[in-house]
Amino acid sequence: MYAPATGKQKPVEQEVITEENVFERPDETIAFFPKQVLYDLFVSTLLLLACCALSYVSPAPLTEPADTATVTYVPRPEWFFFFYEQMLMFFPGYALISFGAVVVPTVFVVLLFAVPWLDRGPRASSTRRPFATVIGVLVVVVVLLNMLMAVSRIINFPGQ
Amino acid sequence: MGAISKARSQAADAGKFVADWLEHRAGIVTMMEHFLYEPVPKRGAWIYTLGSATLFLITLQFLTGILLLFYYVPSTDHAWNSIYYIMNEAYFGTLIRGIHYWSANFLLAVIGLHMAQVFFSGGYKAPRELNWVVGVVLLLLVVIIAFTGYALRWDQDGVWATVVGMKIGSYSPFVGAYTIQFLMGGDTIGPATVSRFFAIHVWLLPAALAPFIGIHLYLLRRHGVFGDEMEYRERLAKLQERQRLEEYEQYEDDGEPYVGRRDRADRD
Amino acid sequence: MAELQKDPMTRGDFLGFGILGTIVGALLTIPPAAFVLGPVIDVNVRGESDVPDDWYRVGPIGEIPAKEPKVYVVEFPVNQVYSEEQVIEEGVETPGATIDNAVWTSWREEIGENGEAIHRIPSFVESGVQPPLTQEQIDEVTANLNVLSSSCAHLGCPVRWIVKEDGGEFLCPCHGGIYDINGGYVGGPPPRGMYSFTFEVREDANIYVKHEFDIGGDKGPQQPYVI
Repeated sequence: MYAPATGKQKPVEQEVITEENVFERPDETIAFFPKQVLYDLFVSTLLLLACCALSYVSPAPLTEPADTATVTYVPRPEWFFFFYEQMLMFFPGYALISFGAVVVPTVFVVLLFAVPWLDRGPRASSTRRPFATVIGVLVVVVVLLNMLMAVSRIINFPGQ
Repeated sequence: MGAISKARSQAADAGKFVADWLEHRAGIVTMMEHFLYEPVPKRGAWIYTLGSATLFLITLQFLTGILLLFYYVPSTDHAWNSIYYIMNEAYFGTLIRGIHYWSANFLLAVIGLHMAQVFFSGGYKAPRELNWVVGVVLLLLVVIIAFTGYALRWDQDGVWATVVGMKIGSYSPFVGAYTIQFLMGGDTIGPATVSRFFAIHVWLLPAALAPFIGIHLYLLRRHGVFGDEMEYRERLAKLQERQRLEEYEQYEDDGEPYVGRRDRADRD
Repeated sequence: MAELQKDPMTRGDFLGFGILGTIVGALLTIPPAAFVLGPVIDVNVRGESDVPDDWYRVGPIGEIPAKEPKVYVVEFPVNQVYSEEQVIEEGVETPGATIDNAVWTSWREEIGENGEAIHRIPSFVESGVQPPLTQEQIDEVTANLNVLSSSCAHLGCPVRWIVKEDGGEFLCPCHGGIYDINGGYVGGPPPRGMYSFTFEVREDANIYVKHEFDIGGDKGPQQPYVI
């Protein structure tokens, strides 16, 4: 059954704010229902409308039936693999392919899992923990740049 | 008493009876109150819709995915044809498959934004570490589901993306060949590949995804929405003010070891 | 909520948990694991392949031009699930599945002393092939023929022939891997040249291949990954 985390049952007035409990309750709150639910519903409705509209404006693709013997087809990944595919270009040769294709992503995922233990400072604001913020921004920039490079490479290739 | 108001009070009584009955048997009213009236941070309410948008899109995936199964045939000979039928013959086939396709695309994008928001607002900090870990598991599951779904079309795009994906997997140190043989169901792409990708995309990973979503939501409710540090501005200001005062008093005491404000008040 | 009741665990309880847990655990893990890992066991332990170890006809050598490669399509049968050999032998009407490979064939090109390209097309092929071939002719053709897989050695995309002023080259459209007409590595991210099929030329002036790559050295043939 649902059990709230400890320390939250005390009324606000009796609470002494310490380093430990400062983030235990926000200054101002709203009830989840109805306002937050309404906001959520609003965004969900927009997304659903967008999906429906796009289904007809740009229908889900279905290319020619599979032909593994083609020599004219250009395989392209989905957009969310662009950055990964582009990254592979920077790791040529036997040793580096396995490094870039598998080892680097694996290490990245492990680091992603470990984020809460790598950054254990008490402050949450990104301006108060510049190191983590810079690393995060760098990751975002590298991913976006790789995506851009992949897009430009795909646009510039002579085509099918 | 008029007939309308009589009917109204009877309906209210009936509603109350049903609610009481359910509450007694299943505790539903208490549970709903827990679910609905939890206080959530107010200032960034619109930003926190990213998480619920992810949930909504995954729900759409489950719903439209189940619908597509009514027509889809997982075999090399008929997979493409069945999707062609969905797109051209089935009533609203374009819409159902379109929602599946587009909500998958939005899902990946929204998950990225959700993750960035949690990362940059420090939402993974204690005691919410586990929820971040569960979130990363969910991300990986969604990415693998997206990849395996691509092959099921058995069209040029899907098959060649799978060929390249398998080739990438074959470069894994030590386990590369075994991994892709397991996924392909043999040493080449073929009929077994469709069956396996179908099993993974439709049953294995969604079945794994669902409980992790449950855990994610349970942990969210257990610790409350963190939101962002801006939600705690006043409390932080109070804390700093108190700490400043304490330091000041310690300085005034001039050398006497500091024992805390309240203790000293007792002693005086 | 009801109060918790914590009875102590006796030695017998512990033993029971151990035995029953082992039985249930073994029955629910080992057969399922073997069930889904079947293909991996077949390939790596029993040394089986989904493509039968036979020769498959590629096409006539006479149609390969002197200075350009020619692509043939070979349909290798695949024994998987419903297209499995045993199912077909039972006399069940079943669609036999194939894995189609594009095979690039070309005559070996060498660089002469003055840097000019020499195409080693046998003269009897240039003047029109007359089957049946003699053993010397077969040997000459075998020594000068390239039979290459279209699957890029980098990530398996289909390579294409790009005609240029001074001949041409194989280009992989995915990441720009480049190979010469012999399939040798020229540039880009691939770790090696294009893979050559194990092939033979027969008296009927046709090329036949197995679904395996001849990677030279003493390692023997290598099974193609993926396609």
